[in-house]
Amino acid sequence: MIPKIAFKNVWRNKERSLIVIIAITLALTGGIFTASIMTGMVDQKFRSGINNEVSHIQIHNPDFLKNYEPQYSIVSADSLAEVISRMPDVKSVAVRTRVPGMISSPNAASGVQIIGINPEKEKKVTQLYKTICDSCGVYFTGPRKNPILVSKRVADKLKVRLKSKVVIRFQNTDGNISEAAFSVTGIYQTSNNAFDDANIFVRSNDFNNITGSMIKPHEIAILLTDIDNLPEVQSALKQKFPGLDVENWQEIQPEMGLITSAISLEIYIILGIILLALAFGIVNTMLMIVFERTRELGMLMAVGMSKARIFSMIMLETILLTFIGGIIGMVLSAFLINIFHKHGIDMSSVSRGLGAFGFDPKIYPFITKTFYLNLSVMILSTGILSAIIPARKALKLKPVEAIRIE
Amino acid sequence: MNIIEIKNLTKIYDKETIPVYALNNVSISFQSGEFTTIVGPSGSGKTTLLNMLGGLDKPTEGEIIIDHINITKLRSRQLIDFRLRNIGFVFQSFNLIPVLTAKENVEFIMQLQGTPKGLRENRTNELLRSVGLGDRVDARPNKLSGGQQQRVAVARALASKPKFILADEPTANLDSKSAENLLEIMEQLNKEENITFIFSTHDARVVAKARRIVTLEDGKIVSDIAK
Repeated sequence: MIPKIAFKNVWRNKERSLIVIIAITLALTGGIFTASIMTGMVDQKFRSGINNEVSHIQIHNPDFLKNYEPQYSIVSADSLAEVISRMPDVKSVAVRTRVPGMISSPNAASGVQIIGINPEKEKKVTQLYKTICDSCGVYFTGPRKNPILVSKRVADKLKVRLKSKVVIRFQNTDGNISEAAFSVTGIYQTSNNAFDDANIFVRSNDFNNITGSMIKPHEIAILLTDIDNLPEVQSALKQKFPGLDVENWQEIQPEMGLITSAISLEIYIILGIILLALAFGIVNTMLMIVFERTRELGMLMAVGMSKARIFSMIMLETILLTFIGGIIGMVLSAFLINIFHKHGIDMSSVSRGLGAFGFDPKIYPFITKTFYLNLSVMILSTGILSAIIPARKALKLKPVEAIRIE
Repeated sequence: MNIIEIKNLTKIYDKETIPVYALNNVSISFQSGEFTTIVGPSGSGKTTLLNMLGGLDKPTEGEIIIDHINITKLRSRQLIDFRLRNIGFVFQSFNLIPVLTAKENVEFIMQLQGTPKGLRENRTNELLRSVGLGDRVDARPNKLSGGQQQRVAVARALASKPKFILADEPTANLDSKSAENLLEIMEQLNKEENITFIFSTHDARVVAKARRIVTLEDGKIVSDIAK
């Protein structure tokens, strides 16, 4: 009975209710869509970070992480990688050599991290090969000797193109400087400018030929079948290799985890503010409704409608009004997000700024189901909170006075 | 048999500053099946007496005993329930719920009482037929004339099977034909179904139909005439 009357009361003044519903719808659609853009950006950064840079777990010699000195390598890294690859929940494993050095062309030089990889195994862990455009060369294929993969930013800095010769120099474990000429066979470009500026890739075999196999691998990168299993796998690896440093993506790049959680919090704060602003509008509307219906409420009390029922009726009317706007807002935003998720939003005009922070210039907005669930709770809470003042106002009416109000 | 017994009822407004006696030591009783009207000039205390009888207001002093229950001692929550189960109200300005149909307005009171659906529907149809609105059950108040709305209000007041009906100026907002029609219906309900009506009115037509006329002046009963 109460829900039926409450629902009918919502539509008593259609114009006013529609204005409130439209206000809630638009505010929430805007808020949710903005949230989806932020979530999309962060998710892309997270995926790009996992897929191109850190993977899920990395293993190092604990001393290597202090100063990145080449002598602190992982003993029998290839055998360990073999063992790890057979562990449950492990999708793929890659072994890397990391040495700080210089890359130079006849035009310029740049300090970089020289990363020696096994191209085929690396392909299964990172998606570096996907960041090479069609006209930007190939990913370590072909007969060319000493191929090297540099980023577009490094190529531009050194003023080199495909097939250009570059020289890499680095300090060997014996303290001597080693150097070798490489040929640019591929130019990659990720969304993270800092990553692109810092990393060049060569084949481990070529690297070993230069160093005489003096420099051993420093890093084992592990990709899991499901990120949810990360804590168990990390714990198992720590137990298995107590002498090595086993870190997850959040420990390797704490800023990545920080951004993910900070943006998530920010989204809820923004929506909280939107809902708070809406709550004031809803309270105002409902107070007006209670004022207009004073005589009717007085009559209801007079004929025997309990205070609890009066309170519930006003509560329900407010919640319905809020929830109708909320649901339409959620559906409309889901529709918009779905469209833009398919085609992406091109933010190239500000891509330099975005790239500096490791964000992709093309954003694919998206929102999780959990977000919608949490938002539903937030909308319901807004409805309940907005209803308290008008419902209390209704309860304070005295039937003997209220029924005589014209 | 007395169903209402009022003893030494006094209501003073602005007790602290300049006391105004809306009712001054009123004692009166009403029997089951009465068709009584309370008359008197404006400010004589008619509405105050009706409010007290309906449990909508508390007296300053005195007792109102309805069917052996002293309602002046009831708490607010108990009074709401008492009103729901014992008193029917007909207001001057109809006071129907505009979003509900005639049928729903009548049924609503029984829903508050917790009457089962089947019983509710039968009684609603029966009541609306008895007030001559059997063909307008699905009309909303804004589609009904003033007289028809007041007849729905009478049906609603009867829905809870109350011990008596309090009608405060029920014909004040009606044209003469509608007022006449309404009074006939109420008189018929009173005679045929022994329903007790207590009116507060200025309307001579109501007074003419009443079988007992209680006159108030300055909060006191100055005459109580049974026809």
